Amino acid sequence: MANQFAICNGVSMKIAMKWLSLLLTVVLVLSLAACSSRNKYNGIDAFGEEDDNIEAEGEKNPVTLTTISMYGGTDPNAANYQAVISQFMEDYPYITVEDDSQAADQDWKTRIAADFAVGNEPDVIQYFTDANASDVLAAEKFVTIDEIKAEYPDYARDTLDSALEAAANPDGVRRAVPTTGYWEGLFCNKDLFDNYGLALPTTWENMVKAIEVFQAKDIIPIAVSLNNVPHYWVEYLMLSAAGPEEYTKVPKTAPADWCKGLAMFKTLRDMGAFPVDTDTIDNDLAGELFKTKKAAMQLDGSWYASGITDQINTVVVELPVIPGGKSKPGAMVGGISSGFYITKKAWEDLDTRDAAVQFVMANTNKEAVSMYWGGNGQAAAAVSPSSNMTPLGLSGLQYSDRATSSSPPTDSRISQEAYNTLIAGIVDISTGTKAPEELLNEVLAINAK
Amino acid sequence: MLYKKKLPMFLFLLPGLVLMVLFLYLPFGENIIDSLYELQFLVKIPGQELHFIGMANYQKLLADEHFRTALFNTIKLMAFTVIFQLGIALLLAIFVSSLKRGHNFFRTVYFFPIVISSTAIGLLFKLFYNFNGGMLNQLLEMLGHEPVNWLSPELAFTMISIPVIWSYVGFYFVIFLTGINEVPQELYDASKVDGCLGWQQVYYIILPLMKNVIGTCLVLAVTGALKVFDLPWAIAPKGAPQGKTHFLGTFLYEQTFTIGNVDYGSAIAFVIVLIGVLAAQTINRIFTRLSKEEDSL
Repeated sequence: MANQFAICNGVSMKIAMKWLSLLLTVVLVLSLAACSSRNKYNGIDAFGEEDDNIEAEGEKNPVTLTTISMYGGTDPNAANYQAVISQFMEDYPYITVEDDSQAADQDWKTRIAADFAVGNEPDVIQYFTDANASDVLAAEKFVTIDEIKAEYPDYARDTLDSALEAAANPDGVRRAVPTTGYWEGLFCNKDLFDNYGLALPTTWENMVKAIEVFQAKDIIPIAVSLNNVPHYWVEYLMLSAAGPEEYTKVPKTAPADWCKGLAMFKTLRDMGAFPVDTDTIDNDLAGELFKTKKAAMQLDGSWYASGITDQINTVVVELPVIPGGKSKPGAMVGGISSGFYITKKAWEDLDTRDAAVQFVMANTNKEAVSMYWGGNGQAAAAVSPSSNMTPLGLSGLQYSDRATSSSPPTDSRISQEAYNTLIAGIVDISTGTKAPEELLNEVLAINAK
Repeated sequence: MLYKKKLPMFLFLLPGLVLMVLFLYLPFGENIIDSLYELQFLVKIPGQELHFIGMANYQKLLADEHFRTALFNTIKLMAFTVIFQLGIALLLAIFVSSLKRGHNFFRTVYFFPIVISSTAIGLLFKLFYNFNGGMLNQLLEMLGHEPVNWLSPELAFTMISIPVIWSYVGFYFVIFLTGINEVPQELYDASKVDGCLGWQQVYYIILPLMKNVIGTCLVLAVTGALKVFDLPWAIAPKGAPQGKTHFLGTFLYEQTFTIGNVDYGSAIAFVIVLIGVLAAQTINRIFTRLSKEEDSL
């Protein structure tokens, strides 16, 4: 009997222990869940401010957000963009960002157009806003800013109105929220100019003198790859010859001033201004010639500044007006050509819609814009210049402040096929194989198709 | 007759045929249609209307100077391929087959470039040819000479053809070597008795018995030269310098993917296929005629 009692007592003890362990496990799991939920949602929204409603996010469904941007590959902002994504996923643990960013080139643009055509578009994309986006815009798959603002009044609230307007698509509709704009300017190795007692090329006479002296001293006067990226020279020579008004028109036949501008390629080539292998080197190698002081000048965009090693002896100046040019000194090529879009595919799903909006806001708020800008180009939000800007950064800032006009480049106005035909014909123009008029008429005919 | 029942054979052949039709013949037909329409994108954008332009692209091809350069360069490369790629491969195979030791060593050494991707070889040669600090110019400067622009309009075609030809010598070398090894030893022994030695053996025994192998290699080499793209593009893209090194493949790529003239690219693609079929047919007929002539002797 005593034995039986002892056995019964032992069994009931075991059952009680089992229940106690189960209870403890449940309490532990619940408390862990509560802790992690509190850690996850710290009440900070994409604007960097406290949000009372954010507690409700604990109930949100997991969302996978597909994103694409041009901040990939060797882009100077690639690391900044990845930092924004990491922070965003920390702030919104229920959102997983699947990003497929690449540096923008023609092949990438073709891929994006194909993705949009076959219904494989991402939820959020940072893409061109001008004529470069015409193929993707034709698919009508973007939500307008007005539609988004109707649901999310704070959307793009840090972005300057002028920047939003500049990022409007060719049909005048605002769909993209920009982060930064850009300028194109003449980068000069000032130390090389000083070494040979040369004045910076702020006038055409100075430019000619510099080309002659540098060539005699076995220094490449201008680093450029005519076969790869002659774009900046195309823009500046046409702007310089025609002036901002005529330069930004899209005529039906080749204007004489545009021809005059492009004819300067042959003049410069005959003067020996370009590298011996300008027809075969690629743009990266041309950049290396400039960065390693084997070349004195390079015309490039504001994004190029951050990749230059010598931030002290490099300056940015206006390209001088070419002889007989109608442009005023200080006429600049620049503008805003890209921004973050939300696609209709993302917008139609309520969970993805919210995640996409938060993602764009995380990339376009004042802090993110300030990081992307870094003193290069133009910020799309009201940001203060950084106190630790390099002399080159300051030079770029002063250059853009001095600008008397800012005109967007030709590829923002004409079709991609037309623009690519123009670029592909520059080597022939520079050698005199083709007349500028013949090439420009061909280009404008393609654009009129 | 190997198999009496044809149905299982047909069933086994069917999946391959379906795949070929789906992924080769249908897109090829689509490509021909594309060449007759105005196209700026590889895919049809929703809402976009296609404009029929008929034979305009083919007329443009006839007048296009860069296309003529590309066609001429491709034909030149075909000739160089036959003479140098197959010629060197055959010579090397004959030399190696006559060795008593070291077969495997030479086989590996000559075949090795095939293992490396064309793009890697292209980048390698791009660095060799680089005007500023390239390997060849560094050597020249060490010897006290002025640097040379190896990719100047005058030199570029030759400099690009060298790696294109070199990179595939090993492929044909291995095929030729296998062919030579298949020649029965008795024939060599019998020929020796008749006093046939050295190059006479090559001329009277190896070459006639390798006729089919050489014919196949010729077709492969000529059609291969027609498709050449990656290596020239890696060394000097877009036919650089000044369009002098355009081949049909690089010209097609530039028009389609760099410029975005998709319909014109489609027309070029069709012409490439036509030339390829014509070249392969011509070589096959020549070899068939040679075989018939020999049989009738």
